[in-house]
Amino acid sequence: MRPLTGLLPDPAGDRSILAHGIGGAQDLPISPELAIAGAVAALTVSFTVLALAWRSPRYDAGLRGRPVPQALATLVDSPAFAVALRVLGFALFLFTAWTAVLGEDLLINPVFGMFYVLLWVGIVPASLLLGPVWKAISPVRTLHLLLGVVTGSDPGQGLRAYPARLGYWPAALGLLAFVWFELVYPQSNDLGSVRLWCAAYVAVMLVGGAVFCDAFYERADLFEVYSSLVARLSVWGRRDGELVVLSPLANLATVPVAPGLLGVVAVLFGSTAYDSFQDSSRWLRFTQAHLEWSRLLDNVGLLAFCVGVGVVFFVGCATTGVSPGQQRRALPDLFAHSVVPIIVGYIVAHYLSYFVEVGQQTVVLMSDPMSDGSNLFGTADLAVNYWLSYHPTLLAVTKVLTVVLGHVLGVVAAHDRAVSLLPRRHQVTGQLPLLVAMVAFTVGGLYLLFAA
Amino acid sequence: MPHIMTAAVLACALALTTACGSDDATEATPAGTVIEVTLADGQVTPAGDRVQAAAGEPITLRIDADVAGELHVHSVPESEIAFDAGTSEHEITIDQPGVVEVELHEPPLVVVQIEVR
Repeated sequence: MRPLTGLLPDPAGDRSILAHGIGGAQDLPISPELAIAGAVAALTVSFTVLALAWRSPRYDAGLRGRPVPQALATLVDSPAFAVALRVLGFALFLFTAWTAVLGEDLLINPVFGMFYVLLWVGIVPASLLLGPVWKAISPVRTLHLLLGVVTGSDPGQGLRAYPARLGYWPAALGLLAFVWFELVYPQSNDLGSVRLWCAAYVAVMLVGGAVFCDAFYERADLFEVYSSLVARLSVWGRRDGELVVLSPLANLATVPVAPGLLGVVAVLFGSTAYDSFQDSSRWLRFTQAHLEWSRLLDNVGLLAFCVGVGVVFFVGCATTGVSPGQQRRALPDLFAHSVVPIIVGYIVAHYLSYFVEVGQQTVVLMSDPMSDGSNLFGTADLAVNYWLSYHPTLLAVTKVLTVVLGHVLGVVAAHDRAVSLLPRRHQVTGQLPLLVAMVAFTVGGLYLLFAA
Repeated sequence: MPHIMTAAVLACALALTTACGSDDATEATPAGTVIEVTLADGQVTPAGDRVQAAAGEPITLRIDADVAGELHVHSVPESEIAFDAGTSEHEITIDQPGVVEVELHEPPLVVVQIEVR
């Protein structure tokens, strides 16, 4: 989150300073009262759910939901709709590639905002509202299909079957590569670096797709895995191929479980927490006092947060009584979906004002992709609305509410999975360590919002 | 029944969080925050401290440096302060609440984080 605020050119027209990596204003810390209120709410809700909620699974019993109106189903399932989305995604991809390859290395180049804000942050609200968006517009899937047409091969036919034990691990690695690039790599604001990262991403995706076909995009494309995971918190689902609307919790229970799911959620939550942490005055003073180590400290910090989240969750899931024949180490992946609402709640809190304000800046800048003063989409003269930043109390309350709401959904999802998985006599005690882990995530997140 | 439970649990969470959320205690700083900055032998003090300031009120940076240089104030909108070797005073005003970093250009170090309320 460090790079992009305040990137509008100043009226004096001196754009040279904007070529440097610059950070912008960040949110004020939330008040201690608010942080404590949020933590108490999270704690209370957790134990209320544990003590009072249902004892037989509600969401694991099979996908529910009701079919959407016929007209909507016909539209969404029509080939024209799918093609239109692919064309839209590919147009955005070409526009981004154009600005990345031919644009100038200035922070008024919209490519930075499109990459770090509209794509990376925007993927969460888009998937939450509309479902698995990236899968529908993914330019790497489109390129894969086009290559299939050109070479005359069947794009649905890979050279090999995707190895099941790889699961989501490639996506977890890809996500780590992204957050490392964004948060740790010192030149993440250089056009050349962004270009190289994107080129490597497209290359890996095309080779992987050629070898393993669609399964590769479902399990190894970091953006698709992220988007499709968040989409399970939306109201849109499919039951035997039919489009249905259903409760987000029922939808969440259908996250496809595969090895590495824990890795994906650990990287997503750990890196966002590290992003808050690295803005804190204490960490800043510490790294600046040990400048020769600061690069190493940043790397170790990011990794420690991701691994730490993974270990805490693993221990929380695995320390329970199990039935004979049930494997403890299989449990963390089976419970990992329940961290998704906690991640989404925390990401909303962490990025809300950034997404709203730098997102607007990016839309303004997109009209002038070559930094030559043009106004392609008519947005160049729009002013950014900073209303949210001028209402810090409202912003703080919203942030704490989303964190607590995410926590509640996560605890309910974990409870439902526990009553369907664990043997009856361990259902309450077996959930305790997991509950403690989730409370630790939420309280830790609130602490960072308060202290950073 | 479980629906009612979920709703009750949610309502409880909302009540708890909003109850105390209204007073975002603003520590009103007297008009005219003064920040002393020293730059000597490539070392800057302070180096990453938090300073409180009020939105719209003047903030004075009192700089004592052995070389000329530039400070970047990462507020919205951005501003820069060019200073000469020796002592100098620079006044800025930040209108938008938030945490604003003041960064030395060379070496690239954060001098202070100003909490503007």
